[in-house]
Amino acid sequence: MRESSFAPSRILIYLVVLLIAAAWLAPLAVVVLNSLRSNEEIAQGSMIGWPQHWAWSNYLTAWSGFCVAETCAGIRPYMLNSALITIPATIFSTLLGAIAGYAVSLWRFRGDTWIYGIVTLGLFLPQQMRLLPWTIVLRDIGLINTLAGLVLIHTIQGLSFTTLFCRNYYVAIPHELIRAARIDGAGFFRIFWRIILPLSGPILVVTVIWQFTHIWNEFLYGVTFTSGQQQPVTAALIALSAAVADIPQHGVQSAAVIIAALPTLLIYLLGGKYFVRGLTAGAVK
Amino acid sequence: MTNAVSIRPDRPALPEWVRRLPEYLMIWVPLLLSAAHLVSFSLWTIWISFTPSTLVPVSGWVGLRNYSAVAASRNWQIAFDNLLLFGSSFVLLSLVTGLALAILLDQRIRGENVLRSIFLYPLAVSFVVTGTVWSWLLNPGLGIQKLVHDLGWTSFKFDWLIDRDMAIWTIVIAAIWQSSGFAMALFLAGLRSVDADIIKAAQIDGAGPVRIYRRIILPSLWPITITVVVIQLQFAISTFDLVRALTNGGPGIATQLPALVVYDLMFQRSLLGRGAAAAVLMLLILLAVLLPYAAWRYIQRRRAAHA
Amino acid sequence: MPITTTRRRLLAGSAAALALPAFARAQGAVKPRLTAISQWSAGSDGAAITALGKKFEEKGGIWQHSPVPGFTTEMMNKLRAQIMAGDPPACSQLKGPEIAAWSKIAPTVDLDAVVAAAGYEKVVAPDLAKLHKPAGKWIALPLQVYSTNMLFLSKRAMDKAKADKIPVTWADFNELAEKMKAGGVASPIANGGTRPDDGQKFEAALAGISPLAYRAAIMNLEKKALAGPEIKAAFAQVRRIADWMDPNVGAQHFSTNLKRFVDGDMGMMIMGGWAQGVLRNAGFKFEDFTIAPGPTDNGKPVFLLNADAFIFWQRKEADLQAGQTLMAQLVMDPAIQTMYSQITGSIPVRTDVDLSGEGWSEGQRTTSAALKSAIASNQALLSMAHNMAQENGMTAAMIDVITEYVKDKTIKPEQAATRLAEAVEGAR
Repeated sequence: MRESSFAPSRILIYLVVLLIAAAWLAPLAVVVLNSLRSNEEIAQGSMIGWPQHWAWSNYLTAWSGFCVAETCAGIRPYMLNSALITIPATIFSTLLGAIAGYAVSLWRFRGDTWIYGIVTLGLFLPQQMRLLPWTIVLRDIGLINTLAGLVLIHTIQGLSFTTLFCRNYYVAIPHELIRAARIDGAGFFRIFWRIILPLSGPILVVTVIWQFTHIWNEFLYGVTFTSGQQQPVTAALIALSAAVADIPQHGVQSAAVIIAALPTLLIYLLGGKYFVRGLTAGAVK
Repeated sequence: MTNAVSIRPDRPALPEWVRRLPEYLMIWVPLLLSAAHLVSFSLWTIWISFTPSTLVPVSGWVGLRNYSAVAASRNWQIAFDNLLLFGSSFVLLSLVTGLALAILLDQRIRGENVLRSIFLYPLAVSFVVTGTVWSWLLNPGLGIQKLVHDLGWTSFKFDWLIDRDMAIWTIVIAAIWQSSGFAMALFLAGLRSVDADIIKAAQIDGAGPVRIYRRIILPSLWPITITVVVIQLQFAISTFDLVRALTNGGPGIATQLPALVVYDLMFQRSLLGRGAAAAVLMLLILLAVLLPYAAWRYIQRRRAAHA
Repeated sequence: MPITTTRRRLLAGSAAALALPAFARAQGAVKPRLTAISQWSAGSDGAAITALGKKFEEKGGIWQHSPVPGFTTEMMNKLRAQIMAGDPPACSQLKGPEIAAWSKIAPTVDLDAVVAAAGYEKVVAPDLAKLHKPAGKWIALPLQVYSTNMLFLSKRAMDKAKADKIPVTWADFNELAEKMKAGGVASPIANGGTRPDDGQKFEAALAGISPLAYRAAIMNLEKKALAGPEIKAAFAQVRRIADWMDPNVGAQHFSTNLKRFVDGDMGMMIMGGWAQGVLRNAGFKFEDFTIAPGPTDNGKPVFLLNADAFIFWQRKEADLQAGQTLMAQLVMDPAIQTMYSQITGSIPVRTDVDLSGEGWSEGQRTTSAALKSAIASNQALLSMAHNMAQENGMTAAMIDVITEYVKDKTIKPEQAATRLAEAVEGAR
């Protein structure tokens, strides 16, 4: 398996890999090409095609032009809203999940397996089911139609994933390390800051990537618990696609999809290497 | 796990619980909030499933009427069958795809970073976008079939999207495209952590690459496989946005899935009670999957503890 | 001014605030403000609601519209959340029998006084009016009307079929489709395949075969009518329509076929009036197609009504109450309805608006004439496919059967009729 010569088998491997990669890239290519075709060109032709006239203006319209009812500012303000929801929720859920995972794995306390088991079950609770209960909760604490409400939802729901993965990662840390630190008089938080956090790079990359993409791409809560000017970017994307009484805006829609996906795509491109590394440690044990 | 540090006071200057209050708060508040919302939301849904609620939650008692109505509906029956078919085939195929990709990438090929990013990027894309784009590609009148026809091969046929029996497989295709990168990453991680010395020893003994994979490497991937299965099953059961954008349950109602039925009953048809009953049934399916896994983990842990 | 009062006084108070003299007083005291929720966010829908908002502001009001992009379901999720939080919008988009259903979960505004002052009731189709006053009092106001069963004919396909007569009955329609097929039109029917699209095929067929049976079976859910021969005949007609469609359409939106329709590769489309705007926005010309009322076997137009409306939720704030009154007056205003319909391609709810002037298309005039004729012959019916005839749960149960039938050619019309009756029983 590890020979380095250019045997026919190596060529075959490259061929297969490149073929699969091409298949994996095809949907992206279609969207990119469509983002450069005008709405009319797509409406009059087909969904797959080479741009006849490069419609770069689609990107301008998508970024700052198209209207969602009275607001004609494109996708830009919605990107900001999404960032205001996603960034704090990602940070909170990652940090709290790391602390919880650290406590569950290295400090052991009474009831920890139970609570940990329940929290990880949250990964499996369908989100359609949680919509109405969240409505009641947000009403009772007065956070309906605030971004803070959405940050709260995503932080609490995100804990399931972050706690699970962090706990599994920290389990592998030798207990002697903690014991030695304790003998030196270090407490819970000091050990976390000085010893655990510096070791946590790979797993934090995993949880940050996971949380960021999930919250960024969320739609259901995003439109139900915000009003008008606070809606997330997914709402603006849907607005482009859901007009029943109009010609589909496939060109502008594709451009908007690309712009809206840039933050998550970038995060995967930059963090992809650590993602694999962190997963090794976080999911296997 | 058994040798974890026990919590014992070292220098009792203040009462211990005061001194440690901040850490208790940091540990317990988020965990309790999370657990409390899961338990209470589930109990709430179970309660609603026994009430006559329609547009908004109301109290009252209708016994098992919501459950019998859901179980008797064609939508649910089709959704349940589809879940079995979609769940098993998607999990199996994404395992195979993920493993194949991982093994291919593990051949010390050039451009591994780029290729890995290519297989991972669909994870960054929202389900709605994935569903929409694949609905273009797989539509015979717009996508791949039309492209091939336009290129001259007019007898080419790829119309699963409009074929009631095959449409569920279009969801499998899109789901695999989206999520097998995750399986690949896990398997790749597993392959990289196999002890190199064992492999070297086997090579010296004259074992070929196929034999090494079959006898040494693949068996060591067993725990990862379980993780992948659980995570992909979770994906399969909660698949919602993807189907809504790709087939919206069609052609006809041929690609209904439980998550779709729950949302449809609760919010589209305004039958909260029935939707809650469907959600509870869905939770039961989840439990049927998760309990064996939990038991397996428990046994494994016990064994590790004894070893 | 903080208002602390009992619930009963609140109810009485807001009703009084809507009586005109009180309104004048209220307007003098506060600046009218309106909070509104709708799904109208993009394209001509978005443009029309924006124009309405401008008019509201011109009259001195503060317009606070919160669009919920997506499907009606998401808009309803938002509305439900606001109602459960005790903070409903002053008015929100809602239509058909859902108005009655939702009015039971939160108090609505009694609009009788403003409606009477505007003399609105006598210019609205009777079946439509009923939907907006479920308990006898007006609580919601229709804004614009579409017919869901207009017939669009491709000029080039007609040329290929060497036909120039617009089909009146279903027999004419079937004959024309055969002619088109023979003349080289690949698919005589150009419809899409979404759920409402499939529903429209069925309702157009049934209402065209027998408006009486449609009213009895679909609108009134009479068991006898649901088992009647007209239902089977309608399913048989739907099968013929489905057979003339391009099977590759799948679940796509009808607009994906527009080019092939105009090119004469597809011939006819049974679609709502909104398709005209879509064709025009896609860059096609009026000469490319003809619009006529959908086929009817008794020769008189049947009009399947689809009307968008606003429901008004009770608020205690004086400025919101003033805003509600202003909004109600605007929605009923013929000039506003004209403006709105000219943007969206619908026709006004008011049957007394003159469509002969500039700004109206031939298709809109045809539609308006069809509505008047249909009202006169009691053939203005409520669309099932677009949630006007029944509540959403019942509609969805019916469409389940219809869409399965359209997509599965092994199901016999008799079987489909039985399943429809069963689905209705199950959803009652």
